[in-house]
Amino acid sequence: MALFLASVGFGLVTASVLAIAAVGFTLQFGVTDVLNLAYGAIMIAGAYVAYVVNQAGLSVWIGLVAALAVCSAGSVLLNSGVYAPFQRRGTSPITMVIVSLGMTLIIEFGVEAVAGGTSVSYTMAQGRTVQAGGLALTAVQLAVIALSLVVMAGVHALLRYTKLGKAMRATAANRTLARNCGIRTGRIITVTWALTGALCGLAGVVFAIDSGSFNPTSTDIFLVLILAAVFLGGPGQAYGAMLGAVIIGLATEVSAAFIPADYKYVIAFVVLLAMLGLRPTGLLGAAQ
Amino acid sequence: MNTFYVINLLIYAGVDAMACLGLSQQFGIAGVTNFGFIIFQAAGGYAAAILALPPKSANGGFQSYIGGWNLPFPVPWIGAAIVGGVIALPFTFLVGRRLRGDFAAVGLLVTAVLLNLLATNYVPLLNGDAGLSLIPQPLQSRYSPQSAAYQWTFALVAVVLCALVYLFVRRITESPYGRTLRAMRDNDVVADSLGKNLLSLRTGMLVLGGAIAGLSGGILVSYVTTWSPAAWGYAETVVLFAAVIIGGAGNHLGAVLGAILVPVGFEEVTRFIPTSNSLPPNLIPSLEWVAIGLLIVVFLWARPQGILPERKRVITLPQAAPAPAAVAAPQAPLTLVRPAAAAGPEIVLETAGLTRDFGGVRAVDGVSLSVRRGTLTGLIGPNGAGKSTLLAMLAGTLRPASGTIAYLGQDITGTPAFRRARLGLVRTFQLASEFKRLTVMENLLSAVPANRGDSLRGAVAGRRYWAGDEAAAIARARLVLRRFGLEDFANHYAGDLSGGQRRLVEIMRALMAEPGMLLLDEPMAGVHPNLARRIGHELTALCREGMTILMVEHELAIMDEFCDPVVVMADGAVLAQGTMAQLRGRREVVEAYLAG
Repeated sequence: MALFLASVGFGLVTASVLAIAAVGFTLQFGVTDVLNLAYGAIMIAGAYVAYVVNQAGLSVWIGLVAALAVCSAGSVLLNSGVYAPFQRRGTSPITMVIVSLGMTLIIEFGVEAVAGGTSVSYTMAQGRTVQAGGLALTAVQLAVIALSLVVMAGVHALLRYTKLGKAMRATAANRTLARNCGIRTGRIITVTWALTGALCGLAGVVFAIDSGSFNPTSTDIFLVLILAAVFLGGPGQAYGAMLGAVIIGLATEVSAAFIPADYKYVIAFVVLLAMLGLRPTGLLGAAQ
Repeated sequence: MNTFYVINLLIYAGVDAMACLGLSQQFGIAGVTNFGFIIFQAAGGYAAAILALPPKSANGGFQSYIGGWNLPFPVPWIGAAIVGGVIALPFTFLVGRRLRGDFAAVGLLVTAVLLNLLATNYVPLLNGDAGLSLIPQPLQSRYSPQSAAYQWTFALVAVVLCALVYLFVRRITESPYGRTLRAMRDNDVVADSLGKNLLSLRTGMLVLGGAIAGLSGGILVSYVTTWSPAAWGYAETVVLFAAVIIGGAGNHLGAVLGAILVPVGFEEVTRFIPTSNSLPPNLIPSLEWVAIGLLIVVFLWARPQGILPERKRVITLPQAAPAPAAVAAPQAPLTLVRPAAAAGPEIVLETAGLTRDFGGVRAVDGVSLSVRRGTLTGLIGPNGAGKSTLLAMLAGTLRPASGTIAYLGQDITGTPAFRRARLGLVRTFQLASEFKRLTVMENLLSAVPANRGDSLRGAVAGRRYWAGDEAAAIARARLVLRRFGLEDFANHYAGDLSGGQRRLVEIMRALMAEPGMLLLDEPMAGVHPNLARRIGHELTALCREGMTILMVEHELAIMDEFCDPVVVMADGAVLAQGTMAQLRGRREVVEAYLAG
């Protein structure tokens, strides 16, 4: 039972990290129509930006802000420099995925060329361990969960109550129609890249905090968890991604209490493949 | 230069080129984006290893694996190819008709990551992370693998096998089956509507490419004598994709060239970079990956067709029969209507209560309709009336939520689109849907049903097996081209034609499928009025020959001149039916549509 509760604790932290990443990914795909597989590479680039700041003697939380800014700007540049020109040419979705795989190699191994392949970790205090109802979480873990909840509430408020959020939803639903209704879709898409890029950077740093140590290829597997959460909820569905993140995060960590930890990701893979094969519109998406 | 260095290079080139040929067949020809390609090479490698290895107890027990059958050459290589092909079968559920191509590609990529993770962590199966080593080389008990003669022979065999694979994939690609694969690559929904079974085509390609990849893995393992998960990370697939894209997807020689430039070239060039202790240890390999990523993006931008582009398949029409002047077009014995339909029941198509919703909007609401043989029935209605949705349900592109469809008295409500096309119910599309990278002639030929060469088996059997069918199809296509006045464009790429000509290609292609009934979705949209009237005359001529046509059209002048009866739809339901003259007299029709 203690093991189970401990794994639930880990699951909550993983789900929190995953939720930030998955919501960013799914909004990016939904609004911009780019299945950006370089998302994981940008996450780890963000983690390294925070590492550099951290190494300079500053707090990781300041590094987090820096990562957020760099990944946001980087994502906007990635779109305006690479994806948007390809899309303007009418490049097919499948070719866009190949382009994004090429960008994955460039970013991920570009980071490795600069930072080296060895694992690093942030210098930070884990804080006091808090016990609550059998769950034992460190102050840092609690901060990650709290941060994730704030981000989810923020995304919810953005999509529900702001003009920008409504314009994003309209652009995602039908870009041409949205433009004809007077929405400046070009600008909405740029803003979406900036916003989801920031979420990506944020996710990268909290991922690095959560995993303790990381290297440039650490997000390869985590990207699969993101995809699993996104497809579970339905690609493009922000609330679906939140739900998917909770399910996948808890499922991987809780299953690790019962099967060898090396196989804890298998459940995410199986979920993803099952969703792709049986219901690619996701749990919250419309049936075909 | 060291002899063994040259041998090493030859073997790697042979193995990589072979793998690239398999990928080129899948991706370049058939448009199946298999991001898990490396799985099949890995499976072939492991299969060859465990077939050739002695039982693990005899091996000192320092590695654990299943199998260990100690089988003689060439059983391990044959086994490698078979295993590579067979493990493709479970993946077919990802590449069927339903799933978007990019989602399927992601699924395959993820599977590659998953299998690598499992192979790394699960030791009893294939020795986990450490991988298998001391894999016996072919005939090593009889000859010395270290001798130059042995190594040269090995290299020669690898290169010859690669050449054989090249000839094999070329034979398939240049057959009618290969043409069908390229049509599917250019537009799978349209290929489906012309009677092509996408699932079976893609399964064929996954198995074939898997077998080629498996063989390449088997050869590689027999040479390097070790095989571990580190050798087949998902990124290795990206390297092979880079090779095929740079060499030229759709051109098998390009795949060979790409294999020599990318995997082999990168391996070799970096050997000549002076090593220096001042450099970080991972710098050069990391930069190699960056360079491969850059090559992919830059090539897709600047030269998406690759160094050696796909070549045009020109079909020279024999000029022996002097083409008479176009005015006196010969009334050749060209029957375009499927006899079974031309002399079939009076009611060709009948629907009852057809309904379809899109997310709460009822696009088609209980349509019951019957179409009589030999009529050119018009279907009009304001935008959003449900005309295209109705047509798509009739053709099987969309599934109805409820209701039934019968064609020639047979219930086809649950019949998939490609089977309906084979029964003779053939549709065209509202948006241009030519196969862009096929010539006009190839577009027409792609629709011909029952060509002996239009199956994997027929393609393998070779040209002599299907040449007769092909010649007949070409002759028929030529008559159709002449009838529509497009003979001079036979060898133009369909994607290069004008809008009106492309509509013609689409109608001609549908006719090549020997339809019993045509479903035309705005065949005259965007076409010059003169050409539109010519199409109208051809369609009425077809109906006189026994064809039945249901045509969606907005141009009322066309309806007036050619269509009888005309069906009016509004808000998903049939509002009225009759001749245009009758309809003009009906108030609700005028209000719903004619007055606009």
